[in-house]
Amino acid sequence: MIRGGIIALALLLSPEARAQETPPPVGSDLPAAVAEEQIAVSSDYRGSYMTIFGVNPDRRGRGDVVVVVRGPSHTATVMRKRRVLGLWINGDPVRFSEAPSFFAVLSNRPLRSIVSRETMWRYRLDPAASARLASTVPTGADPSAYRAALVRLRRQQGLYQEYAGRASPDRRGGLTTYQGGLFRAVVRLPHNAPIAQYNADAFVFRDGRLVSSQRIPITIERVGFERDVHKLATDASWLYGIATVLLALLAGWVAAFLFRRT
Amino acid sequence: MIYLPIAEMTVNALLVLLVSGGVGFVSGLVGVGGGFIMTPALMFLGVPPPVAVATGASQIAATSFSGIMTQTRRKSVDWRMGMLLSIGGILGSATGVWLFERLLQLGQLDLIISMLYLVLLAALGTLMLFESYAIWRGRGAKGVSVLRRPARTIAHTLPFRIAFPRSGLYLSVIPPVALGYGVGALSAIMGIGGGFILIPAMIYLLRMPTNVVVGTSLFQVLVVSSLVVIMQSARTQTVDLVLAALLMGGGVFGAQWGARLGAGLRNEQIRAILGALLIAASLKFLWDLVVPPAEPYVLGGGLW
Repeated sequence: MIRGGIIALALLLSPEARAQETPPPVGSDLPAAVAEEQIAVSSDYRGSYMTIFGVNPDRRGRGDVVVVVRGPSHTATVMRKRRVLGLWINGDPVRFSEAPSFFAVLSNRPLRSIVSRETMWRYRLDPAASARLASTVPTGADPSAYRAALVRLRRQQGLYQEYAGRASPDRRGGLTTYQGGLFRAVVRLPHNAPIAQYNADAFVFRDGRLVSSQRIPITIERVGFERDVHKLATDASWLYGIATVLLALLAGWVAAFLFRRT
Repeated sequence: MIYLPIAEMTVNALLVLLVSGGVGFVSGLVGVGGGFIMTPALMFLGVPPPVAVATGASQIAATSFSGIMTQTRRKSVDWRMGMLLSIGGILGSATGVWLFERLLQLGQLDLIISMLYLVLLAALGTLMLFESYAIWRGRGAKGVSVLRRPARTIAHTLPFRIAFPRSGLYLSVIPPVALGYGVGALSAIMGIGGGFILIPAMIYLLRMPTNVVVGTSLFQVLVVSSLVVIMQSARTQTVDLVLAALLMGGGVFGAQWGARLGAGLRNEQIRAILGALLIAASLKFLWDLVVPPAEPYVLGGGLW
């Protein structure tokens, strides 16, 4: 009981606890736009790039630019493998009530040198800061280890990305600043990124303090045949199943028919 | 390259066609359904296991339908027996889909699928190796039987006996329904047809004549796999129509071609090679379960 109280207190003071609060709203005083407001997913989709443009309102170009592209938040579960009877099985699940399905953060120089850790958590500039822990962790386990594991696993899938500095010929993603305060952020969207409504948040910080910000929505959606298939699968799932079976029967019949003739 | 709208990933269409064609070819050659090769092959290609299992069932439906067309022409389907097996199969696959959904929520589906495949592939591979060894040794001797058919089994003593005119049998309805149930459940969880369990069981347990066994088991497999596709679509939404079309295209034609080629071929060598391959695949599953993982944490709870 006492130990539980201590842990709760420790959580309250940590930046992790701060992240549980709702973040301050993103402003609308930073001139910014996206190159494509809609990204179409058709049968030849192999991932895409998102480009966000903006102008630092400071005339002398002072301050640092941070751009965050975020997919919708979903629940997520992270499990740790346990050895049972010589076999490694999934155990000790920890649930996150909210974890961004896609998260990319771009900055003109390393994020740590732009803002403090506090500010990073406050504005959720870090994928770990955007994940909300929903359940208690198993005794003896470290909550931040689970949080780190979530970020690491999603990063391996290409769903969480961090870029510091400008894009280069061999790396298209990055944040490049130009004369007159113009900046361009390019994010690689992998083919496994969820198809949904995204938000790109652009921030300008000066001396670690937020000066201006802007939120731009970006829609990724299926088009044509892909959309019809997905719509049928979710809205009329019974019909979809029956259609698949009919297609199977047709394929079987055609094959039997063709091979009888020859 | 083609985008799969349900799996939400890109695959090489040609590669999938080649793999499904190859699997179909081997299955036609050896005379097995091929679901137990196709589903793990898809997983090795990076398709999430739930999608591989549910979508694989549609290819099984296609293959079994083309098989049954040939069998009905030869009048080698015992419809009454097929119906009983199917009733069991429908109940079994409903249980299987429910279990599939539960395991998916618990984050243990991948593990259970791996473990079931480990056991299944190892058992099947060993069986095939022994069988081909027995044929190889017994060449020249007339008619090789690894197992002797018992005169009477439990199927003949249990209550609720009815007649099966097509098979010339009079036995209890309980064993066929129970058999169908077990195979149906496995079929929903593993994405297999289950013919390789049904056929031996029908021969040795139910003592059905061999000429009706294949057609009747195909009928059960067709009914169950069709239902699995419909139920998985409705409950877990893991059936990918684009992937299914690729699998059917490759699998069905490969199977017909393989069956045509296999008809006049001695196939104990092929069986031996396939047996060895299955054992190798099962060792891969075992390896993944036994070796300490480099990454101790896994994402679970959802499909991805």
